[in-house]
Amino acid sequence: MRRTLTAALLMTALSMLECVGTAAAGETIGVVRTVAGAATVLRGEKTLEASPGLKLLVGDTLLTGRDGSIGIILRDDSSLSIGPESRLVVRSFLFSPTEGKFDLLARISRGTMAYISGLIGMLAPENARFETPSATIGIRGTRFAVKVGEPSVP
Amino acid sequence: MRAAVPVAFLLLAAACATSTRPLPPPPPRDVIVLLPDDQGRTGAIVVSSAGVERRLDRPGQTLSVDAGSPPGVPYVMPEQEVRALVGPALTALPKPPARFILYFEHNSADLTRESREVLKDLFRTIRDRAPVDISVVGHTDTLGKKKHNDALSLNRARAVAAILVGKGVDSSILDITSHGKENPLVPTGDQVSEPRNRRVEVTVR
Repeated sequence: MRRTLTAALLMTALSMLECVGTAAAGETIGVVRTVAGAATVLRGEKTLEASPGLKLLVGDTLLTGRDGSIGIILRDDSSLSIGPESRLVVRSFLFSPTEGKFDLLARISRGTMAYISGLIGMLAPENARFETPSATIGIRGTRFAVKVGEPSVP
Repeated sequence: MRAAVPVAFLLLAAACATSTRPLPPPPPRDVIVLLPDDQGRTGAIVVSSAGVERRLDRPGQTLSVDAGSPPGVPYVMPEQEVRALVGPALTALPKPPARFILYFEHNSADLTRESREVLKDLFRTIRDRAPVDISVVGHTDTLGKKKHNDALSLNRARAVAAILVGKGVDSSILDITSHGKENPLVPTGDQVSEPRNRRVEVTVR
């Protein structure tokens, strides 16, 4: 029974992946859902105000100030957030179940983050990676949080 | 975090004994916590640094990584400490999208009685999560011709969209698509009547 259920859920998940292309240049990879305090998205030379509904692209950097936070949902239905004084860049994102192509690489260089894995975590967990300044985190279908160490000021 | 204190003291002592130069700052330290889901379960993560891998697979399991060093020994961090460490990020974490499957009568865009009941949950979720985006995807079973099923699956998706709009959902937040018989929930051969494949899938993000 349990096995049947799991299979059904997976099938549901797969069948819902309509028209989600590879995140080539310019394609939406996710959307901002929650924002508090000072929160911006850096895109190339541009600084965008983070606000709920803002669509995100590969290469976008999420940046928060003292009282800031940002929560996003990616196209594979994973959730990701950063807390105050944080900086995170989504370096690559590819979600194309029809072609069997999955990739997620995010780098947090400052502050705190939390993550709940989505369909990439379910379908191809080995293709999801997070980098901190000191370590690499591989996903096995899960949620976790990170706090990045601050370099001491002499 | 607590284990860092004696180490820092040792560094201080060594530096004072050998040199009058300013102390080298301690290396930055990343802390990684594995979190349970709402049911208290966890998956697993693997943390790698300096060519060493460590696996975390229990709720609240935590390890620290000093720059340039292998991952530290895992320990379980109490929930209160996790909150203190990453509270604002956890608060900002959006809820994962909610999914609903609505089933239809044979060769029809009429919902089954059971699925009309599911609509109540769907409306409640939309209300509770607003503002949201909603995708509505229509499907059929494999009985009949492709062209007929393409039209039927679109009609099913449109029927659900019309119900949502009738309940006050703004049509601009609806993304309506259809897959005909190409994407069955339950895999079957062609020309198979399967009630579980006559459906519309609604995702509320």
